[in-house]
Amino acid sequence: MQIADIDLRRYSNHFSSYTELRVQENTSQQIMLLNGDVVSNTRDISGGVCSRVFDQGAWGFSSDANVSNDSIESTITAATRNAAFLAKRCGKPEATLPRAQTEASSDFRTEQPKKSQEEIIAFLKSCDEYVVESCPEIVSRQIGLSSLDMEKLLYTSEGSFGHNVNTRTLMSMKLTTRNDADEPVELSEGFGNRGQFEDVFPNMDEFKEKVDLLYEHLMNKRDAVKPVSGYHDVILASDLAGILAHEAIGHTTEGDIVRAGSVAADYIGQVVASDLVTLVDFANTYEGQTLPVPVYMDDEGVECKDSVIIDKGVLKSFMHNKDSARYFDMELTGNARAFSYTDEPLVRMRNTAILPGKDRFEDMVASIDDGYLLMRWTNGQADSTSEFMFGVQMGYEIKNGKLGRAISDTTISGIAFDMLKEITMLSDEMTWNCAGMCGKKQPMPVGMGGPAVKTKIFIGGE
Amino acid sequence: MGSKEIDMSEVSLAKRTLEEIHQAGFEKAVCQVSKDELHELQAESGEINLFRTNFETDIRLSGIADQRRASLGVNKTDEVTIGQAIRDLKLMAEGANQDPAFDISGSQPAEVFTTGPEDPDYDLMYDRIKEVQDYARGKYPTLNLRSVGITFFKRRTCFVNSNKVQFESTRSQYRVSLSFSAKDGLDTSSMMYTEYTRHNLDEPLKDAVNVDTLFRQSTEQVRTRHLPNKFVGDLVIAPTCLPSFLGFMTARLGDGPMISGTSIYKDKAGEMVKSNLLTVHSCPVSEDICSGYWITGDGYKAENLTIVENGKLNSYLLGQYGANKTGLPRAINGGGCYIVDPGHDTFEDLIGQVDEGVLINRFSGGRPSDRGDFSGVAKNSYYIKDGKVQFPIKETTVSGNMDDLLKNIRSISSERINSGSSVYPWIRVSGVTAS
Repeated sequence: MQIADIDLRRYSNHFSSYTELRVQENTSQQIMLLNGDVVSNTRDISGGVCSRVFDQGAWGFSSDANVSNDSIESTITAATRNAAFLAKRCGKPEATLPRAQTEASSDFRTEQPKKSQEEIIAFLKSCDEYVVESCPEIVSRQIGLSSLDMEKLLYTSEGSFGHNVNTRTLMSMKLTTRNDADEPVELSEGFGNRGQFEDVFPNMDEFKEKVDLLYEHLMNKRDAVKPVSGYHDVILASDLAGILAHEAIGHTTEGDIVRAGSVAADYIGQVVASDLVTLVDFANTYEGQTLPVPVYMDDEGVECKDSVIIDKGVLKSFMHNKDSARYFDMELTGNARAFSYTDEPLVRMRNTAILPGKDRFEDMVASIDDGYLLMRWTNGQADSTSEFMFGVQMGYEIKNGKLGRAISDTTISGIAFDMLKEITMLSDEMTWNCAGMCGKKQPMPVGMGGPAVKTKIFIGGE
Repeated sequence: MGSKEIDMSEVSLAKRTLEEIHQAGFEKAVCQVSKDELHELQAESGEINLFRTNFETDIRLSGIADQRRASLGVNKTDEVTIGQAIRDLKLMAEGANQDPAFDISGSQPAEVFTTGPEDPDYDLMYDRIKEVQDYARGKYPTLNLRSVGITFFKRRTCFVNSNKVQFESTRSQYRVSLSFSAKDGLDTSSMMYTEYTRHNLDEPLKDAVNVDTLFRQSTEQVRTRHLPNKFVGDLVIAPTCLPSFLGFMTARLGDGPMISGTSIYKDKAGEMVKSNLLTVHSCPVSEDICSGYWITGDGYKAENLTIVENGKLNSYLLGQYGANKTGLPRAINGGGCYIVDPGHDTFEDLIGQVDEGVLINRFSGGRPSDRGDFSGVAKNSYYIKDGKVQFPIKETTVSGNMDDLLKNIRSISSERINSGSSVYPWIRVSGVTAS
């Protein structure tokens, strides 16, 4: 039986208090070519049923890999028993959750005939051959493909019901060359989109475009200079603006993090950024376009709404699940998401972005006498103090309004709510990145977006 | 819904599935069946608010046919799912390229391994969380114990392959995790966390690893100061932070960098690559390691291994595939479970030896380049001057070279922290830029 055909409503007679019942299956695939050899060729299918029960302020959760009539009933029973264990010891009889009822259905699987494994590997081999032919100075190359399909069927005791299938397919590549001192110099890139392989990579056009650009940057990076440590005028390319929005601002405004002591708790209603800055966690759609990670109903059965975090520089709101909305007595936003059937929903971002401004990128570069263009992040971390750090693997000097020499790997850091106030220009174009995998207790695909940003930032180095 | 689940032991299921993989045309076949139990109590923001029980089955199939390899995982045991998985595995392998380096582990005597308690003690799990909450509330009023989790995890595994390898294992343990920060008025400290594993919960959480010290430090760190000046000095690396620096070396001893030839440790076996004060072991079967393993990912019985001995590189961390590709010896384990030998000085001695430096408890850094250049933020850290810890610092960047860092070790503490998955001392290194 297909997941969509399971009648979860028939189990409502087993519900004794607020209950979520979810059947979920995640299918992931990874293929990795190292110097043309397929070194990884794996697929993983993991699914099951879970139930979460709220009893006097305490949650009980249980899951089972088997999906059968018996296992669904026993999962509800176990979750109910687990909640009762806690309620007996530390329950708060007055605790109630905000209610929600909605229905949603979405399916982003391909309608095209599925490609065979042989065809997909042949595609990657062709990509690899293209790198060999067009990038003569490369000494090592990695090309990978990964995909994740998440199918969820949810029913809650408040009557919410949904069947949603989110998909995404990503390619990664890492090119290594050697500089004059015979040291390895590398650059990597990940790209892709919502959808399955057949829809995301219909041909090699996007790959060729990405590899040509990456190789050009890598050749420049062979002669890179170390950036000068300290505060500088910089332009953050749009991919860096996206991770800034997610890591440095987004996490500090998640309801559970706010409750746990995030500095943002003290800033609501206050100016936290330049008035050029508007930052939104979009549920599923922006300017009529479906976003990288569209979520229509969250895993607590709540209709997903856009969360405007910062509006023209003022901190307006936080993102919530039922628990944090209850605690802060705020409206539900539909940000409760779980990665696997073994996971409880947490407050998670969906598609977080700084909205574009009105400046041309060329004018932004021309406005800097001595600074840097920073692009292509490697990793990032942020703190509840809004202190952030991002690794940067590519960038250029800006001297007298013109791009100069490439710079070597570095890190940028600062206090996000200070740095946002230093923003003076935003480009009029924004890009979305689909490759984000947030790591807050559970992994979770996220979308991130933004324009190029001119600000001041601390660059690490000697 | 799926067809009826097969109620059979891990051994029977693994053997039957192995035979089916073989019959599907694979000359070499591997099957690993795992059955997991997870029992978790979790507290957030001072409230014990989640009790979770998960039961999971995991079947890993791998096969080599005509020198083409594929691997696949499913978590259902019914005939329909497994039959489809084997058909998919065949299609995946048929699409892969031939590589004579693909292989499976050779014949070894069958063994059964067991460690850890049979069942979780829910009441004790609850009481230990409540106890540490009460302790923190009483002794450190500004501390915000953001989350405390105790998980009892039990895994029964059977690994079989077509070279007649059969290993059975049962491992269970308690995992404890704590994350916290402090808030005093509008001042907030950086988030700090620690986790460890144990076979029992005999020890109160506050007394385990260095939890109490980290609590105290967190309350001190609500008011931080900038470094007085940029300097090149010492870094005293805390055990909580050492993986950030040791990981650069261990990652480059493995298959990927060694096969691609980008590892800076290529052709360095037998040579001095680190300070002669440094000895690093990988000990998955040590009694000191609670979260070890008995079987490598390739299907070999794991043994303890000394990777770096008094600064000399003794072994790479190559798996079977990496060994076949490079012509170098396969490591006798799969890495991890690192134990660093203690030094002769106390932690206080290390601090006393510093003219100017940073005691680093957490490192938030960018991914270092293959050359090892790094920079990042010293979090939850302290300024040291004239042999004394002066004050907690903010917005401080440390930079240097990962490879050079462990060549420049000046002293190692005699005290070590056992997290259950590693045993690390404090290490003092020189030549790091702080700004």
